[in-house]
Amino acid sequence: SAKFTPLPKMAASIGAVVCRALHSRRHGKFLSIGRGLFSGARCLVAEGETHFGFQTVSETEKGEKVYHVFESVAKKYDIMNDSMSLGIHRLWKDILLHQMNPYPGTQLLDVAGGTGDIAFRFINYVRSQWEHQIRQKLKSHQNLSWQEISKSYQEEELKLPGGSQVVVCDINKEMLKVGKQKAQHLGYSEGLSWVVGNAEELPFNDSKFDVYTIAFGIRNVTHIDQALQEAYRVLKPGGRFLCLEFSQVNNPLFSRLYDLYSFQVIPVLGEIIAGDWKSYQYLVESIRHFPAQEEFKAMIEDAGFLKVEYRNLTSGIVAIHSGFKL
Amino acid sequence: MAVVAAAAGSLRRAGWGLLRCRPVVRCPLYPAQRAFHASALLRRVSDEQKQEPPPSSSQQRFESHPPGDQPDQEPQRSHHSYTDQGGEESEDYESEEQLQQRILTAALEFVPAHGWTGDAIAEGAKALGLSVAAAGMFHSDGSELILHFVSQCNSELSNLLEEQQKLVQLGQAEKKKTDQFLRDAVEARLRMLIPYIEKWPQAVSILLLPHNIPSSLNLLTSMVDDMWHYAGDQSTDINWYTRRTVLAGIYNTTELVMMQDSSPDFEETWHFLENRIADAMKMGITAKQVQLTGEALVQGLMGAAVTIKNLAGLNQRR
Repeated sequence: SAKFTPLPKMAASIGAVVCRALHSRRHGKFLSIGRGLFSGARCLVAEGETHFGFQTVSETEKGEKVYHVFESVAKKYDIMNDSMSLGIHRLWKDILLHQMNPYPGTQLLDVAGGTGDIAFRFINYVRSQWEHQIRQKLKSHQNLSWQEISKSYQEEELKLPGGSQVVVCDINKEMLKVGKQKAQHLGYSEGLSWVVGNAEELPFNDSKFDVYTIAFGIRNVTHIDQALQEAYRVLKPGGRFLCLEFSQVNNPLFSRLYDLYSFQVIPVLGEIIAGDWKSYQYLVESIRHFPAQEEFKAMIEDAGFLKVEYRNLTSGIVAIHSGFKL
Repeated sequence: MAVVAAAAGSLRRAGWGLLRCRPVVRCPLYPAQRAFHASALLRRVSDEQKQEPPPSSSQQRFESHPPGDQPDQEPQRSHHSYTDQGGEESEDYESEEQLQQRILTAALEFVPAHGWTGDAIAEGAKALGLSVAAAGMFHSDGSELILHFVSQCNSELSNLLEEQQKLVQLGQAEKKKTDQFLRDAVEARLRMLIPYIEKWPQAVSILLLPHNIPSSLNLLTSMVDDMWHYAGDQSTDINWYTRRTVLAGIYNTTELVMMQDSSPDFEETWHFLENRIADAMKMGITAKQVQLTGEALVQGLMGAAVTIKNLAGLNQRR
C-alpha cells in the first residue's frame, strides 16, 4: 500500500482541517477526502513525536491525551462497546479465552484490562473447567479426595480452583474503579486483584505470570515495543502472550463498509450515548494507525517470543496474536 | 554336511544383504519423528541428566535408507502456515520442535491420571519447569501427544527388530519363520500399550478424527512396512500391498481385542493373534491352491473340448 508522507506540520494542519470538517456532521464530502488522505496510510513523523489518532503529537502528550480519553469514557465504556460492535465484542473476548484454554492454577496478567471483561471470563472459565474435572472423575468412579468433595459442595468458593489468579493492571484509575464496581456487582471477589500500572513499565517482578493478555489496549500504548518487552519480562518460561486488537480488514469490499461504519456511525454513537464525540473519533483513527497483522507479528517476534501466530476474527476487524516465551 | 551349512549361512547373509535395497519407497515419516531423531544430536550437553527419550539411539535405523533421505532431517518443521521461525534457537540451544517433543515425552507420565488430553500436556510442561500455558502450543484434544507416543513406540519396535536382525546375522540366534516372527513383532508392539491400556480406547477414537487420520494412517503403514521388511519380504508385485494390508488388519483387530481383554497378561489376546496369523498364512496357501485348481480346471475343459471336436470330426481339414 502506498504511503502518503507529507511533512508533519502539514499533516497536523490538514488533519485539523479535516477533523473540523468532520465535526460538521452532515458533510459527507469532507469525510471522503479525509478517508482518502489517511486510510491505511501512516505518516512519517519526526523524532519524539507519535500519532494520536490522525494528529501528530509529542510522545509525552500522547500518554496524557490517551489518559484523558479513557478517563472521560470510563463510565460508559461497556455500553459503548456493546453498541459500537453490536455486541460482537463479547464473542471476540470469549474466543480469546477459548484459545487461551487456561489450566487450573494459571496466573493471568490482564494489562489494560480496565473494566475487567477478560478477568471475569477467565474466572468463569476456570471455575467451569474445575466442575468439568470433578464430573469427569465422578463418571470414571475415581476416588475423590475429601478436599475435592467438600469444594464441590461449597456455594461460595473461597479460592479459585487450583490456585488460579488474575491481576488486572491498567494505567487509568477511573477504568479500574469501574471494573471494581462491576466485580462487586457481579460477585467476583476471590483470585482477583487490581493494580495501577503502565504497560511500558510493569510494577511486577520477572517471570511471574503464566499468561499475559492485552485486549484492545496495545494500540493506545506510546511505545509498543517496550510494552512487548515488558510482557516478555514478566512471563514465566513457557508463558503465553495473547493480544486481542483491531487489525486490518483483508476483504476490500468489506473494508469499505467497515470504514463507512467507523467514520460515520461510531462517533455519532459516541456523541449520543456518551456525550463524547472526540474520544470515539480518536478510537477509530487509532485503529487505522495500528500495524497490520503481519507487521505486528514481526514486532512480537522481535521482542523474543516464539511460535507467534495470529488469527483473524470477523474477516480481519480484530485479530488475536499469540506468542510463547520459550 | 558342514559345507552345506556354511553355504546356507553365506546364502542367508547374502539374502539379508539384498534386503537392504528396498524395492519400493517407504511412506514419508511423521515429520516429528525426524525432528525427534535429530534432537538427540542437538541436545545441549548439560541436558543429559534430564530424561533421555528411549529411541535416541535410533540413528542406525536410517542406515538402510538411501542417503537422499538424510538432508530431509531438518529439526525445524512448522506445522502452522503462519509461523516462519526457521532455525531460531532459544537459550537452551534447542529448537521449538525439540522442546515440544520434550514436553510431550514428559506428559506421557500423566496420561494414566488425566487421559490423553491437554491437561496431561499441561502437567508435563509443569514437570519440566515450564509454565502450564505452554500446553497452548498444542491442540487441546491431545492429538499431538498420542501421535508422539505412537511414533515413539514405532521407533522402539524398529530398534528391537534391528537388534534381532543383527543377532541373527552374527549367528547368535536362529532365524524365525515368518509367522513366528510376525507374531512376536506384533506382540512386542502391543505390549508397549500395556501401561496406558485403560485410556487407550480414548486415544484410538481421537486418532480416528478426520484431522488426525492422515498422520495416524502414516504411522500405521510405516510400522507395518517395518515389520514386513525385517520379516524378509522382498516382493515387488501386488503381494507387497496385500501383505501389508493383511498385517495392518491383524494388528488393528488384535489391538481391539486387547482393549477389552481381562485375562492375566493378556493371554487371550496373544491366542487371538496366533489364530489370525495362522489364518493369514493359510489364506496365502489357499489362494495359491485356488489359482492352481482354477488353471487345472480350465486346462481340463479345454482338453475335453478339443477331444469332442476331434470325435465330431470338426478338426479335420478338408
